[in-house]
Amino acid sequence: MKKLKEFFRYDNVGLLFILPAFLYMLIFVGYPIISNIGLSFQDVSVRNLANGDRHFIGLANYVEIFSDEFFRKSLVNTLVFTVSCLIFQFLIGFALALFFNKRFKIAKPVRGLLMIPWMMPMTVTALMFKFMFSTDVGIINYILRCLHLIDNNIEWLTTPGTAMAAVVIANIWIGIPFNTILLSTGLTTIPQELYESASVDGANKWQKLFGITLPLLRPTIESILVLGFIYTFKVYDLVYVMTEGGPVNSTHLLSTYSYKLSFDMFQYSKGSAVANVLFVILLLVGMLYIKITMEGEKE
Amino acid sequence: MKKGLITALAATMCLSVSLVGCGSSAGSATTGDANTGSGNKEVASASGEAAGDVTIWYYWETEGHQAALNHIIEEFNSQQDDITVQAKYVPFADFKKQLSVGASAGELPDLVILDNPDHAAYAAMGIFADITDKFDVSNYYDGPVNSCTLDGRLYGVPFGSNDLVLFYNEDMLEAAGCEVPTTWDELLTVAKATTKDNVYGFAHCALQNEEGTFNFLPWVWSTGATSYEIDSDGGIKALEFEKSLIESGAFPKEAINWTQGDTMNQFISGNLAMMINGTWQIPTMREEVPDLHWNVAPIPQDKQQASGLGGENYAVIAGGNEDGAVEFLKFATSGETCLYMMNAMGYISADSTIAATQFQGDDVYQVFVDEMQYANARGPLPEWPDISDAISLAFNKVIIGEASPEDAAKEAQATIDSIIGSK
Repeated sequence: MKKLKEFFRYDNVGLLFILPAFLYMLIFVGYPIISNIGLSFQDVSVRNLANGDRHFIGLANYVEIFSDEFFRKSLVNTLVFTVSCLIFQFLIGFALALFFNKRFKIAKPVRGLLMIPWMMPMTVTALMFKFMFSTDVGIINYILRCLHLIDNNIEWLTTPGTAMAAVVIANIWIGIPFNTILLSTGLTTIPQELYESASVDGANKWQKLFGITLPLLRPTIESILVLGFIYTFKVYDLVYVMTEGGPVNSTHLLSTYSYKLSFDMFQYSKGSAVANVLFVILLLVGMLYIKITMEGEKE
Repeated sequence: MKKGLITALAATMCLSVSLVGCGSSAGSATTGDANTGSGNKEVASASGEAAGDVTIWYYWETEGHQAALNHIIEEFNSQQDDITVQAKYVPFADFKKQLSVGASAGELPDLVILDNPDHAAYAAMGIFADITDKFDVSNYYDGPVNSCTLDGRLYGVPFGSNDLVLFYNEDMLEAAGCEVPTTWDELLTVAKATTKDNVYGFAHCALQNEEGTFNFLPWVWSTGATSYEIDSDGGIKALEFEKSLIESGAFPKEAINWTQGDTMNQFISGNLAMMINGTWQIPTMREEVPDLHWNVAPIPQDKQQASGLGGENYAVIAGGNEDGAVEFLKFATSGETCLYMMNAMGYISADSTIAATQFQGDDVYQVFVDEMQYANARGPLPEWPDISDAISLAFNKVIIGEASPEDAAKEAQATIDSIIGSK
């Protein structure tokens, strides 16, 4: 690492090597973002998209979206969705990682199978859950009825509260493997000797978990939570396929609401303002992630 | 920390780039008056000048529809050597997005076949050519022509039309001892009588989008109110009727997640005794369930007969190969070609002279053709998507019990007024 730094200091030719990547990012990633930020300060709608008669209107779009009931709702939804998914994905993923870390016979192949939810295209998963949560013919209501937990079918996707729960459950199912695999990898880096000497000292299972496993896994856990936040915060396809933001806009996330404003209702500037709110939040979390990993490197 | 910020920016860029809206390059697709304005004389000689490629975008996923379009394109291409037409399928869900993005990036086809309630919005964006003097629509039904018109100018040609009627399962109605309903009260009674076990008496697509609005609005129109008068006696009455359907237990709440195709599938699987649906389902239904005894009737009415007008329009893109596109349009809308397309697709021609000859002896289609004169168009208004959103939000709130018909109507009206008022 040090040598690399010296190389850069004495020979700027290295900058040329990053130029292609830099240009690529600038054109294909930087430009759209800048242009989107510009768009959000203008008044572009169906009437002036193509004729160029657009005006700079300052923060008006942002003022308008923050007074929009459904924007505020989708902001809250996005946070609720992200946090509840993170908690359950992490807890279940962690439990599974600990379980598959035991060296029993079929641990490895089964752990591999666990990856399936993660590999399946999101729209397929979404359609599957849509069927499973269907009121009259869905398997979830069927099972709940068989277990005598409910008498009448729950109208999962047609009631605002339960629709949100259904979307969260589907996304938890998708996210568990991501947590399991990363945590499993983290677990293998902990030297077995630590556990052995702890056993000699008479530590019980819980003491080992809280005294050895969790502290040593801290960097992994931090990365998983931050990455998980970023992945979950920008989920779009799952909600779009399962509920399209409904019923009555109760499951819109910032991503789906931004799409709806731009491409269903042709309010391009407002849609881009919503996308920018999403962008800023992700940027902050992204910076947090970089900070954490840099501190990790220092240690 | 500086490096950290840049890396963070880069990382976030990667993650959020898919959410960024359209770019802002302007002006490349301004209205093409410069080369369309000189009127009839030029049209007469246009066939000599028209040449080059013409690209068409359309969104029909049905195989039969695609085949029919390709058939007439081949015929056109083989008839003459100057113009080569080719068609490109863009999925319906992406269609509006592609057009909007294309409009701002200046990458559009030469001709599009689009859903008629969206027509005015794109015409207002200035991406469609004014073809007022190039095309004669005097034989066409008013509703479809209105949907192509903005501020008195013609920005497209109706492709073909469809409308909505009541489909009913003859066996189920007979088993329940019911006549075909003609009024709202009768509909409610029959729906209740036919509801049992796994069968719901009645449903229509109630999605919270344009499709749902299309299926809901006939109730409003039937009371004499317009699409823009939701908080009126008629509008509230329509919402109340929807509420009474739900409360009777004969109308599945899940219809708020059913497309018109889903609704049709429920009907032909025997889970629905009656439904509102459109002309285009007939070819599929006749093929899939030849043994099912079903028939159609006008939508039950409150004060007056009403139906929703659907269908597609052709629109010529401004600044593209306008002459070539118009040439193809003239071919595609000429008597025999048009008749072939309409019959293959189960559409009613928007040209009344062609429609009159279309379904002679076919009683089912005849109901649709008769209903055409009561079919209302949505809009035309560039902001129609916003109006439609307010209306669909209102009946969705009523269906799931989030709001009373009065409150839902008031809320929708506030949105509608703010849009119409701000024009």
